[in-house]
Amino acid sequence: MTRSAHASVDAAILLEGLTKSFGPQKAVDDFNLVVPRGALCGFIGPNGAGKTTTIRMIMSIFFPDSGRISVLGHPSALEAKDRIGYLPEERGVYRQMRVGEFLGYIARLKGMRGAGLAKRVRRGLERVGLEGVERKRCEELSKGMLQKAQFVAATLHEPDLIILDEPFSGLDPVSMRQLETLVRAEHERGATVLFSTHVMHQAEELCEHVVMIHRGRKVLDDAIPAIQRRFDPRTILFDPFDPNADVGALAALPVIEQVDAAERGYSIRLSEGASPADAMRSIVELVPPARIELARPRLEDIFIEIVSSTGDELADERRSHPKAVDAEAEVA
Amino acid sequence: MSKVLQVAWREFFVTVTSKAFLFGLLIVPVMVMLMAWLMPKLIAGSDFQARGSIAVVDPDGRVSEALRAALEDETLRQRREQAAARTLERMPPEARAFIGEQVMAQVAPSVVLALDERPSGADIEAEKARLYSAPPGERPFALVVLHEDVVESADGSLRLGTYDLYVPPKLDNRIEGEIRRVVNEAIVATRIAARGYDPNAIRALMAVPRVRAVSVSPDEERDASEVLAMLLPMAFVALLFIGVMTGGQALLTSTVEEKSSRVIEVLLSAVSPMQLMAGKLLGNMAVSFVGLGIYIGLGLALLAGIALLGFLDFSLIFYLIVFFVITYLALGSLMMAIGSAVNEMREAQTMMMPIVLLLVVPWLLWMPISRDPDSSLSVTLSFVPPINSFVMLLRMASASPPPAWQVWLSIAIGAASVVAALWFTAKVFRIGLLMHGKPPNLMTLIRWARQA
Repeated sequence: MTRSAHASVDAAILLEGLTKSFGPQKAVDDFNLVVPRGALCGFIGPNGAGKTTTIRMIMSIFFPDSGRISVLGHPSALEAKDRIGYLPEERGVYRQMRVGEFLGYIARLKGMRGAGLAKRVRRGLERVGLEGVERKRCEELSKGMLQKAQFVAATLHEPDLIILDEPFSGLDPVSMRQLETLVRAEHERGATVLFSTHVMHQAEELCEHVVMIHRGRKVLDDAIPAIQRRFDPRTILFDPFDPNADVGALAALPVIEQVDAAERGYSIRLSEGASPADAMRSIVELVPPARIELARPRLEDIFIEIVSSTGDELADERRSHPKAVDAEAEVA
Repeated sequence: MSKVLQVAWREFFVTVTSKAFLFGLLIVPVMVMLMAWLMPKLIAGSDFQARGSIAVVDPDGRVSEALRAALEDETLRQRREQAAARTLERMPPEARAFIGEQVMAQVAPSVVLALDERPSGADIEAEKARLYSAPPGERPFALVVLHEDVVESADGSLRLGTYDLYVPPKLDNRIEGEIRRVVNEAIVATRIAARGYDPNAIRALMAVPRVRAVSVSPDEERDASEVLAMLLPMAFVALLFIGVMTGGQALLTSTVEEKSSRVIEVLLSAVSPMQLMAGKLLGNMAVSFVGLGIYIGLGLALLAGIALLGFLDFSLIFYLIVFFVITYLALGSLMMAIGSAVNEMREAQTMMMPIVLLLVVPWLLWMPISRDPDSSLSVTLSFVPPINSFVMLLRMASASPPPAWQVWLSIAIGAASVVAALWFTAKVFRIGLLMHGKPPNLMTLIRWARQA
């Protein structure tokens, strides 16, 4: 998903230099993205970062001011709508319509026909644990049930590309876990999945790859392990074999900057430029360990670090160019 | 195209099966039928019965004599029968069958009057006092004081006198009307007799049987009806109005509902904004056609029932449909643009005001255009969209239809206005559907159309 891969014709989604403004405010600014076919990609970012605007441009609901879009090999999603499943952030239904009729209507709009449609609707509802609600009116369903029904609407036609905008918001933990399973199943079926969220642990658990947008600009685009390696390879979690061992002595090692007691064992901060492998070897030689491992930073920490650092840059910029920065802040 | 038809079918099905539509569709014919049944009964007042007397002060007693004869039961009955027969004679034969029963019902006397002759030198003030001070059983309905020259003038000229009529307050106007009629007829009969004429001969000389009016054109001759000539343009404008408002209102409501319930984005994931717009326009046009079809059918059945179908130029129905499609697409699409721009119906009402005012214009101008369909005002308004459809239909259904080139020019201008309205709506629709928050004003809509 690097820029060099943009020319790939096998991309499910390809965005190049995408820009969208609402009046004087830029909601998305020179955004590039490649989502290969078959990928399960998380699209993260704080509220108002430009996730929904980007997704709406991918879906051809909004049109970009500039830039190029390719969806499933087509220059516009309008040409491939029947192969795309979309769960929008603002989930709406015809409140008076029966659930089965609503799902049938959306499926027909997606090009599904035939006598088996009612059976497929029923099976789709059973798959998400909503057996027997076809005859109920949409307004009779709870928010969680409605969300699951809408997931069925987005996936009933077995699309090649599934775009889910904040699919887990408002769900209880059990429903959340169930939806995660369904997303994985769609991915295993062969569908490309792009879903936006600001719940980091879900992106971490589900995704192979994460793209982060902040203030309309892409600030992160990598595989999860690579991100974790890149962001914090300098902390070692250490638990001595002998609880009475002098762990403080480790601070004398040149590769170690600081040793702190942690909830369980110690957190050892490495010096700038130190090799984690060399440092681990030195530690083990000095104090025998019961457990020693490289700390894997959580996506949430990375997210907060990026948002704060961008915030700091913004503050610096604001001091030098107050008017320009304020305008950008309003967009977000 | 199949997606457009899917959207259209849903719009059509949901609307025509809604209680609001069924109620709205049926309420007009039910009201018309109810009024048609009820009004003659109310007017005829078949249950109304009154019996009483009129006090008459007659200087020479000649009019009283005629009055006495006129108030005899048999004379009363004959007079009513003759009046009913005259009324029936003026009607087409089938219409006689339709309402003849109600006309003949009026033959039964509802006001029975007795003559209370007062002395010629009676004190008028005392007689007037009897109208309110006499015991209820003896109190007359009215006091008639005939002038001395009511039959013959003193100088022999035809400048004849009249009479004074005194009635108590709150006297039923049907009783007063009957008294006036009887006294007037008695005076006229006395005058005729005084000059030695035959009253029956004079009545026959003054009566002209029903006139058959025939409308003549180079192509055909057809029966003309003055009443129908007045009502027909109104009926066609009403049909056009009902058709446009039925579909337009349904478009507005369904768009606002889809937007406020946020289902619009789900739809836009499956269809393009243009497909959605086209489907909604088509579906609700079909809804309007259902309503129009029912009303046109009922209208034709009514005309056929009273044998007035021959008065109708059937090409008007073709033009009604053409002008309906034009006006519906122009105004309906603008109503849909408004629906896509607002968050709720309350906001839509404010923005609908200019469109509603436009639709009121033809009603305000109905009379001047019908009376003078070839005036400068009529001709000019025939080419000003979107009211050109209404004005042209008014003119076409009038006694002086416009030339064909004017009709087709008006249709062409209407078609151009449809293109402009659809262009504007497509732009506003695409932006407005996903806009929430402060409702836009007209200038914002124009800005959206320019930037989309």
